[in-house]
Amino acid sequence: MDRYGNYLYAYAMSRLRNADAAADCVQDTFLAGIKALERFDGSRDIKFWLRGIMRNKIVDQIRKSIKENKVDIDNEDETLLESFWFKYSGIATTNPDPWQFNPRKAYDNTEFWDVFNVCIDKVKQPARQAFVLRMLEDMETEEVCKVMDITPNYLWVLLHRARQQLKVALEEKWTGKDVK
Amino acid sequence: MFTCKQVSHSLSKEDYAKLSPAKRFFLQLHVKLCIFCGKFNRQVMDGQDMCRHFKQYEATNCQCAPELPEGQKDELKALLAAQSAKSSKN
Repeated sequence: MDRYGNYLYAYAMSRLRNADAAADCVQDTFLAGIKALERFDGSRDIKFWLRGIMRNKIVDQIRKSIKENKVDIDNEDETLLESFWFKYSGIATTNPDPWQFNPRKAYDNTEFWDVFNVCIDKVKQPARQAFVLRMLEDMETEEVCKVMDITPNYLWVLLHRARQQLKVALEEKWTGKDVK
Repeated sequence: MFTCKQVSHSLSKEDYAKLSPAKRFFLQLHVKLCIFCGKFNRQVMDGQDMCRHFKQYEATNCQCAPELPEGQKDELKALLAAQSAKSSKN
């Protein structure tokens, strides 16, 4: 608990952005860990084993929050976004905006990842939930659609929005600094 | 041959690994030839790359901030002690 409590809490916070939900997740993870301790074979670090349990708890928390605030599938939004991009023939018409800095050059800077963590918070719901499940928790498209009760097409729109918002937030926060 | 719309859907959903080799070939060909999809692909790749590096950073160098509040930590410790006592009895 002393060794991994803070790690798991920080992990849950980076996914859920809610202190109470994150604390609940840590508690559920440790309780489930104690129950399942006999099944732990020691083949990997216990930290990552606990994180594996926590992943399911995070998905449960997101599912719960989605049930409380149902994702509004706004078809108009979906077609609007697509109409900016594609002609009726499905050919792209808009050039994606390039990065204002080269993110790959910032990877070695630990400060960049702190900024990245803060910027995830700037992504609005439900795009953030889609981003967390698909990109950070590596869930399959079908699984994410099932958890969020959305269509694959809408997931595409949400992920696109999340990437755009994250890019804007990163550019604002990072290019404001002295980029090496 | 894919249209840009199909390509961007596939890239965004990252389901290209599930495509047949022939379809994957045409998708890659489209991305190489089309300036829009090439740039879009680059951004999707940047996003994936960033998330992968972030997860590595989290697992190895994380400063563990924010920390679990002390009150909740003590509460949880007591709960865990009770739970392990209960499971050792069983």
